[in-house]
Amino acid sequence: MHQQIIVNITLPVFLLICAGIAPLLVSQYHLSFGLQVFMMLALAQSWNLISGMTGYISFGQVVFFGIGAYTAAILLPLGLHWLPVIGVGTLMAILLALPLGLLTLRLRGPYFAIAMLGLNEVVRIIATLWVDLTNGGSGISLSPTLLPDLSTNYYSMLILAAVACGIIWVVHGSRFGLELRAIREDEAAAEMVGVNTTYAKFVAFVGSAAIPGAVGTVFTMYNSYINPTSAFAPDLNIQMIVMVMLGGSGTFWGPILGTVLVMGLREILWASLPALHMAILGVILLIIVLFLPNGVLSLTSPKIRIRFDLTK
Amino acid sequence: MNTVTIAKLLDPILKVEHLCRNFGGVKALDNVDLAISSGSITGLIGPNGSGKTTLFQCISGVDRGATGRVWLAGKSITGLRPHRIYRNGLARTFQLSRVFPQLTVLENLLVASTSKLNQTERALDLLRQVKLESYAQALGASLSYGQQKLIEFLRVLMSDPRLILLDEPAAGVNPTLRAVLWDMVKRLNARGVTFMIVEHNMQVIEELCSKVIVLAEGKVLIEGNFREIRNNKQVLDAYFGRAR
Ligand SMILES: Nc1ncnc2c1ncn2[C@@H]1O[C@H](COP(=O)(O)OP(=O)(O)OP(=O)(O)O)[C@@H](O)[C@H]1O
Ligand SMILES: [Mg+2]
Repeated sequence: MHQQIIVNITLPVFLLICAGIAPLLVSQYHLSFGLQVFMMLALAQSWNLISGMTGYISFGQVVFFGIGAYTAAILLPLGLHWLPVIGVGTLMAILLALPLGLLTLRLRGPYFAIAMLGLNEVVRIIATLWVDLTNGGSGISLSPTLLPDLSTNYYSMLILAAVACGIIWVVHGSRFGLELRAIREDEAAAEMVGVNTTYAKFVAFVGSAAIPGAVGTVFTMYNSYINPTSAFAPDLNIQMIVMVMLGGSGTFWGPILGTVLVMGLREILWASLPALHMAILGVILLIIVLFLPNGVLSLTSPKIRIRFDLTK
Repeated sequence: MNTVTIAKLLDPILKVEHLCRNFGGVKALDNVDLAISSGSITGLIGPNGSGKTTLFQCISGVDRGATGRVWLAGKSITGLRPHRIYRNGLARTFQLSRVFPQLTVLENLLVASTSKLNQTERALDLLRQVKLESYAQALGASLSYGQQKLIEFLRVLMSDPRLILLDEPAAGVNPTLRAVLWDMVKRLNARGVTFMIVEHNMQVIEELCSKVIVLAEGKVLIEGNFREIRNNKQVLDAYFGRAR
C-alpha cells in the first residue's frame, strides 16, 4: 500500500509541479518540446479512455482534434478571446461525438476501427472542399497578435494533459472503469452480468472526444497555421495508438510512459533520420504486438499496475 | 399468509410461451412452452443439439432473434436487453466459461454486483465459501478451467438473483469443486433461489431436481419428476438410447 501511494499519488504530484515551474527554467525550444509532449499525452490518454479501456480501437480519434483545431482557426480571427475558444472547440467535438457514438458503437471490432478511419477521411475532405469556411487545402494562417504566447499555450496544454490523466486515474479505479474493462474482455458476458454496455461505451466515447477537441484548439494557437492534412492527420492517430500500446493500454501509467519514450526517441531520431520516423514507429508497434502485448508497463511489478489493492 | 401471497408463491417465476428460434433451416427451438415454479430446481436435459443452450440464450436476452414471450415473476421480459433482465433478477452462466480473463477474480465478482455500495467484503465472503479467497487478486485467466466455471457461478450471485440458469456448470470441474458447487446450489435453493440446470449426470439430476424437462429437436418432449422421465419410452429412445 505504501509503495502504491508513492507511485500513484506522490509521483504524479511531483511531476506536475516540475512541469509547472519548467517555463521559468528552460529555453523556448524546450518549452515548445514540452508542449508537444503534453499534447501527445493528452491525446494518448483520451485514446486510452475509449480504445485502451473498452478495446474499441479507434483510427479516427484525430477527427475530434481536427474539429477543435478548425474551431479555433475560424473563431480566433473574429476577435474571440482564446479561453472561451477552447471551450467551444471542446463543445464542437462533443456535438460531433454524440451522433457518431450512437452510430459507430453498434459496430464491433474491426468495423468500428474502419468506420472511424473512414469518418476522419470524410471530414478531412469536407474541410478541403468547404473553401469559404476553411480556406480549403491552403489552410488558415493566424497572425501572432491574435494568439496567446508560448508559455500560455504551454500551460494550457499542461492542464489538458493533467485533466486527461486525471480522468483516467479516476475512471480506472471506479466502477465505471471496471465496466469498461469488462466490455474489453467479453462484451456479451459483461452485458449478461448487468453492465449497460451501450451506455458505458457511449459515455467513454464522448469523453474521449472532448479532450482532443480542446487539444486541437490549443494546437492551432501554438502552431498559428493549420490545413486539412495537419488537422485530420491519420499519422497523429497512429502515434496515439503507439504511445498507449507501447506503455500499456487501459492503464494510468502506460500512456505516460509510452508518450515519454516515443517523444524522447523522436527527438533523437528526428534530427538524424526524419524520413524514417514513421517507419520506426511502425516497427515499434510491430514489436509490441508480437512480444509485449501489454506494453512496457507489464514488465513492472503488478503492485504498481493495480491502482489500489482492494483486499487492503 | 393471506391468499394473495400464497398465490404469488405458486406463481411460476418463469413462464415461456411459444418460443421459436430458427438458425437458417434448423429449428433450434420449436414452439417451446414452459413454466418454472418459484423455489424449485428444474433439470433441463436432452441430447446434444436439442436446444438447451439456445433456450437459455433466448430467455436471458443474449439471443434476441427468437419469437414468443417470456415472463419473469409475472413481468414480461420479452425483448429486454440482457443487463435489464439480469437486473430484474434472472442470472445465467455460460456453457463454456466466460470469466473476464484480464480482470482479477475479485473484479470479476465486483463488476457483476448490482448494488452501488462497495461489495468487496461480500465478494471475498463468496470466495471464502469455495476456498478460493487466496485467488482474489489473481487474474481470471490464471485459474484452472474448473475454477473459472465456479467463479462464473459466484459472479452471478453478487446480484442476489431470484432465478439462476446454469448451463452444464459441472462440466470440466473436478469432483471436489463439483461437490462444493452442488452444495452451494442446495443452500441457495433452501433460501428460496430458483434454479434451472442443464446437466448430463443423471445422478445429480435425480438428487437435486424436483422436476425435469426433456428437450428433443427443439421441442419439449416431456416434463415430470425424475421417475416419470426415466421410465418414459420416448425419453429412453431420444436420450438414454443415444447416450448408451
Ligand atoms: N448460433 C448458432 N448458429 C447456427 N446454429 C446454431 C447456433 N446455435 C445453436 N445452433 C443450432 O441449434 C441447435 C441447438 O443447439 P444448442 O446449442 O442449443 O443445443 P444443446 O442442447 O445446448 O446441445 P449441447 O448438449 O451440445 O450443449 C443445434 O442444431 C445447433 O447446431
Ligand atoms: Mg448446450
